[in-house]
Amino acid sequence: MREITFMEATLEALSEEMARDETIFVVGQGSGARGGNFNTTTGLYDIYGPERLRDVPITERGFVGMCTGAAMTGTRPVVDFMFLDFILDAMGEMVNQMAKMQYMSSGRLKMPILLRGCIGVGGAAATHHSGNYYSMFAHLPGFKVVVPTTAYDAKGLFKTALRSDDPVLFLEHKSLINGRGEVPEEEYLIPFGQASICRRGKDLTVVALTTMVGKTLTVCEKLAQEGISVEVIDPRTVAPLDVDTILESVQRTGRLLVIDETFAICGIGAEIAAQVVDRGFDDLDAPVRRLNGLHVPTPYSAPLEASVVPQLPDIEQAIRDLLAE
Amino acid sequence: MAEEIVMPRLGWTMEEGTLIEWLKEDGAAVETGELLFTVEGDKALNEIETFVGGILHLPSAAPQPGDTVPVGTVLGYLLEVGEQPPAYEATKTNAAADTQTPAQAASTMSDTEPSHAVSATEPTISPRARRVAAELGVDWQQLQGSGRSGRIVERDVRAAQGLSSAAPKATPIAQRLAAEAGLDLAELAAQKQGGRIEREDVEAAVEAARAMPTTSTSQPITRVRQLIAAHLSTSAHTTAAVTLTTEADATELVVLRQKFKDSLGQNAPTYNDLLIKLSASALGKHPALNASWHNEEIQLHATVHMGVATDTDDGLLVPVIRDAQSKNLQQIAAETKTLFDQARQRQLKPEDMQDGTFTLTNLGMYGIDAFTPIINLPQCAILGIGRIIEKPAVHDGQIVVRSMMALSLTFDHRVLDGGPAARFLDQVRSFVEQPYQWLSE
Repeated sequence: MREITFMEATLEALSEEMARDETIFVVGQGSGARGGNFNTTTGLYDIYGPERLRDVPITERGFVGMCTGAAMTGTRPVVDFMFLDFILDAMGEMVNQMAKMQYMSSGRLKMPILLRGCIGVGGAAATHHSGNYYSMFAHLPGFKVVVPTTAYDAKGLFKTALRSDDPVLFLEHKSLINGRGEVPEEEYLIPFGQASICRRGKDLTVVALTTMVGKTLTVCEKLAQEGISVEVIDPRTVAPLDVDTILESVQRTGRLLVIDETFAICGIGAEIAAQVVDRGFDDLDAPVRRLNGLHVPTPYSAPLEASVVPQLPDIEQAIRDLLAE
Repeated sequence: MAEEIVMPRLGWTMEEGTLIEWLKEDGAAVETGELLFTVEGDKALNEIETFVGGILHLPSAAPQPGDTVPVGTVLGYLLEVGEQPPAYEATKTNAAADTQTPAQAASTMSDTEPSHAVSATEPTISPRARRVAAELGVDWQQLQGSGRSGRIVERDVRAAQGLSSAAPKATPIAQRLAAEAGLDLAELAAQKQGGRIEREDVEAAVEAARAMPTTSTSQPITRVRQLIAAHLSTSAHTTAAVTLTTEADATELVVLRQKFKDSLGQNAPTYNDLLIKLSASALGKHPALNASWHNEEIQLHATVHMGVATDTDDGLLVPVIRDAQSKNLQQIAAETKTLFDQARQRQLKPEDMQDGTFTLTNLGMYGIDAFTPIINLPQCAILGIGRIIEKPAVHDGQIVVRSMMALSLTFDHRVLDGGPAARFLDQVRSFVEQPYQWLSE
């Protein structure tokens, strides 16, 4: 099968959906003729024109508010934030209007809007360009939150997002967007709330997100040579969260480790742990563990930056520790 | 360090308990798992097992057998060899660790399970391992945990199971024959000491089984059975029971019952109902029998709550007709019908069996005459009813056929003497013979 990058996969999905649905338009800094800072819209300006690929000034609250209104009128805005950190300037519009409008209108108004941007630690991008934020959005009712890992998942989930009537946060880890993976030519969609089991195992379950999926799989290869069999699950969406798949796995392994690049406190790992302990208590053979990045602003220096997120030896040690419990 | 032995909590509602007796002597060496003392809690007598071993030390200042003390009170100590006993203090030194009693109920009669509180010597276990142990029937208390800090995890339970259930080796024919004959291959394997079981082994075992006389089977003891056993053995061991018997001419009672049947059909009072009513009336005239031995006092009860011993599939139950002295026959008949139905359908509530002041037990339907009933504590007497049978009797100076009934009264000689008991039984006899005496009440 052909291999393309994560970003090429989302570009393909966006282009296909824009051809299919003429109410879709894209808003963002550099999203027009420039083709997006992360090549999110490369070539689309030539196909769909300035009406549907619009540059905007650095006024997040303004253009998010306008797109919220546009979505209410029946169009499908795609808001491209480049670095997702700047979405924080639009939080008032998002939380109070976008997420609540369907409820406030008793469902008479829809909110088909896609908000995308790069997240994550990596590339010495410093603390204003390294946030993850997905736990924060998952906390609020009204948002769907997508955190794909592979090119295949990115395309299938992007298409689902563009056909959803709810606001969707499509969060792309900047260390993953250039990763290549097999993506079929023919059309497919991946539903939200369906975790992917990336590796089968019987001794321990790891739930990993974004960059931690690949790192964990690398560690698992090594551990497999010692006969340690680890199951790896990528939730793919954190809202909705597929706890059933995790529970089913824990039922077999009895041990759960959640590995997440971002902060542990009030994070998605805490939510997964709480639900598994609640519903799967009698399946647990050991405490539920989390391995997270440090609860600090992300440093600019590359060695310091690497030290605040879990690395391969940390993951290996966490797995060994939990197996010893 | 001296381990404190404390009054255990044997049920949610238990606040205090009575130390009945020490099962080991002061200074005795005691091993883990041995029975240490007996306690009377809310409901029954319990034997308390120790979870630690040591030299039993009973300070003179500690509660003595017969004393009732709050839960948690220190009763004694288990010392290491050569260890000096500590100065006695009634409250536990580590009061917060209320649940860390070295002693716990071996067989509690209370409504609640013995608590699974974690004691210093009890191993920890993961939820999953606990579940798997329950599924496989593995006693995890005995296991060494391989988890960090000694926690028992699933692999420990499975390993323990694997040891005990390694499949015995047998030829296919032997397996089939054993299955057909219902023989346990593991047992055969044990006899053969690990060798492969062959056809001849199974055939020999089948022959042996045929030649063997039927052996006894064991049955688990149900909770109801345990309660009955504890209650009745306490009665047998603590009361000064005396049984009086007499024979009553029940001919008039039979006539009365037949007349009720003719006029009321299904709703006619049963013999039990008639006997409840007449016994309640007799107790009204002889209140000394309507009494309880309670907390070293004799309580005379103003009303008669009549217990009626009832045979059910679960065992003996005693539903209570409250205020029997002030109810008429129809009320009693309706009430007994409801209670007996509930008893047989296992739907009796605890309050339906509480507060009885006197008990009737009727074995007449089984062809029994006189017998020696056991007193239903804390009551002081119980009346046994025998069968009604036609036999030759002297009536008005003639030998004629009369319906005769044996009556057996067991009373507690601690509470009352033979005279009042005999007078009460004679009153009952008189009421059986001449129902008009009480029927109008």
